[in-house]
Amino acid sequence: MKMQNKFAHPARRLPRALRAFWRGLREWCGDASYDRYLAARATRESACCKLTRAEFYVEQANRRYSRPNRCC
Amino acid sequence: MKRAFSIVAWIAVAILGAGSLAKIAVHRGEPINAMWFVAAALGCYALAFRFYSAFVAARLLTFDDTRATPAERVDDGRDFVPTNKWVLFGHHFAAIAGPGPLVGPTLAAQFGYLPGTIWLIAGAIFAGCVQDFVILFFSIRRNGKSLGEMAREEVSRRGGFIAQIAVLAIMVILLGVIALVVVNALKSSPWATFTLAMTIPIAMLVGLYLRFLRPGRVMEASLIGVSLIIFAVIAGQWVADSPAWAQAFTISGVALAFALIAYGFAASALPVWLLLAPRDYLSAFIKAGAIFSLAAGILLVRPDILMPPLTKFIDGSGPVFAGKIFPFCFITIACGAISGFHSLISSGTTPKMILRESQSRLIGYGAMLMESFVGVMAMVAACAMTPGVYFAINSPASIVGGTADAAAKTISSWGYSLSAATMNDMAKAVGEITLLNRAGGAPSLAVGMAQIFSSTIGGPRLLSIWYHFAIMFEALFILTVLDAGTRVGRFMIQELAGRLWKPFAQTSWVPGMLISSALIVALWGYFLYQGVIDPLGGINSLWPLFGIANQLLACVALVLATTIMIKMGRIRWLWVTVLPMIWLVTVTMTASYQKIFSANTRIGFLSLAQSLTAQIAAGKIPTAKIADTQRIIFNQRLDAAVTAALALMILVLIVEALVQWYLLLAKKRPATLHESPYVATAWAQNFSGVAHGDD
Repeated sequence: MKMQNKFAHPARRLPRALRAFWRGLREWCGDASYDRYLAARATRESACCKLTRAEFYVEQANRRYSRPNRCC
Repeated sequence: MKRAFSIVAWIAVAILGAGSLAKIAVHRGEPINAMWFVAAALGCYALAFRFYSAFVAARLLTFDDTRATPAERVDDGRDFVPTNKWVLFGHHFAAIAGPGPLVGPTLAAQFGYLPGTIWLIAGAIFAGCVQDFVILFFSIRRNGKSLGEMAREEVSRRGGFIAQIAVLAIMVILLGVIALVVVNALKSSPWATFTLAMTIPIAMLVGLYLRFLRPGRVMEASLIGVSLIIFAVIAGQWVADSPAWAQAFTISGVALAFALIAYGFAASALPVWLLLAPRDYLSAFIKAGAIFSLAAGILLVRPDILMPPLTKFIDGSGPVFAGKIFPFCFITIACGAISGFHSLISSGTTPKMILRESQSRLIGYGAMLMESFVGVMAMVAACAMTPGVYFAINSPASIVGGTADAAAKTISSWGYSLSAATMNDMAKAVGEITLLNRAGGAPSLAVGMAQIFSSTIGGPRLLSIWYHFAIMFEALFILTVLDAGTRVGRFMIQELAGRLWKPFAQTSWVPGMLISSALIVALWGYFLYQGVIDPLGGINSLWPLFGIANQLLACVALVLATTIMIKMGRIRWLWVTVLPMIWLVTVTMTASYQKIFSANTRIGFLSLAQSLTAQIAAGKIPTAKIADTQRIIFNQRLDAAVTAALALMILVLIVEALVQWYLLLAKKRPATLHESPYVATAWAQNFSGVAHGDD
């Protein structure tokens, strides 16, 4: 199966590569963070209430910028 | 067969890297092409990553990929998020690469291209990458603990305290000096000032969009913001062309300093989502775009390097900053070679997101190699311009004179030909009134970048747009470091003050928040102000201070790593962290000594203070300037005291480390490691991070 992927026709590999790039870009910039949060919450028993997308965004921003996250 | 091919390929890479390095080292006379720099850097990086990082991984760290990382064990969807290694590489690189690798090499270009380039490549391979890599690995093994926490647990409480103070010190000095870089780039430049001022309402607009209109849709909001910023760069030209508007945005250095201080306070006190976070998103996109564009531009244009390999200023008489190659080249270039600040990132967010221990090699060692390459590109951009122009832009008026004629005469007398017309024409071509006396590295880098970009797209017609795009890019992400750093500094002050009076530690307590914000802003604001009024340009005093503080933090990180390795029984390989540590201690202690005690008034803080005091006593200073001169004398003594405090911390840290290492090696103290308990991974071996079914 792996061999087939590796040697797939370039026309088939390109869309796959673009999808992976798009997914990576969404994760890198933070667009996928809320989906991640929901998925992580779904797999674990959580006592606290679920945050809305807007609440989660504000909470994440507060957490991220409370510690050194940008270097010189 | 495959093995034979691999051996041949790596021998070819070794020949390419070593050959290119030898070429730039021994080349004299005719200009050398920038591609030799690219080949030397990439060849050396490839070898270092393939062999040296593998050696460090195998002999010192010994990964265990059956062990669950903090991201797997905790996986709370907030801090601990399993992340694909390439995405995390991007996160980590965006976090570590700030203005330092652009500004430091540009300043160090005054020695010629050779010392800085060799330090960037060798320093990264043997010191910076190793530091980032081992600290990341040790933090993964300790549930993502911070450098300070690890130093307290593994070295001693005193080691942890020094780490905490070093972080605060570096934060204050860093913020002061990078704010000075922005001031020197924007002063008397209506176009650049307008563009940067516009980024504030644009960031707030993006913040409101992300908070209320389309919460959390970072990419689309950032694209809107980036488009508006590019429009602001273009609109800046209309502002510069309109006499009334140009006058409104022509602001002096002191006024700009106070504007930045007010901005820092606002960014620290306002809700994060309104200004700080959206600015960071915009900055990250523009940073990534500009760095890739610079790399592409260098590859396409392949400029000749006009700066000689070594200049006459290796003797310590440099106009940009005073001091000989040793030690000043090695503290001027910190980020790009080794930066202690990186250890805060390596022990902060990244270890909580990594999937496997073995990925710390790509992310810790690899991302730092990439930052080093950014430094090499900055060196290429600075050295691709005529040396005379480089010195005219970066030298203070007190050395080369405040007019184009005076600067041309002085710089030509040094042997670097320059005419006043060249400087006037260049200023006109980039849409500025003057490019003279803009110490700090940002404008000369912008000229270098603009020349490379305009050779690719637009020609001389777009030179002014490219110049202001480059200035905006540098100033934007300097301001991002400024506001994020001010906020973190505010939390550090609240934490320290909270030990004395508990309510202070509550970050939501408004009076505490306002007082600590004002305090951190006042601390770095004072350094900024003294830099702006400094007759020697400010950078001459403050950039070495920043370098010393940054390397102090690197010493903390390397002491921590060495202590853990002793506890792990890796005695035979201790040189991997001890040798860079000895080098850094030697460099920082020598630089500290010279900055405090040198008899040369351009280097020694105390000798300048003494000289100015004598001039006042002899009646050589006009009465109207006595108050200003006394302030400069006070600032020199303050800088000497700060340098002495940093040097003392390094000494205390080394003594502390030696005691702890002796106790451990003599088995008088148990070698207890504070690692998180082993938990076996539940993930399949080829798991790549797409954990939750998002596509």
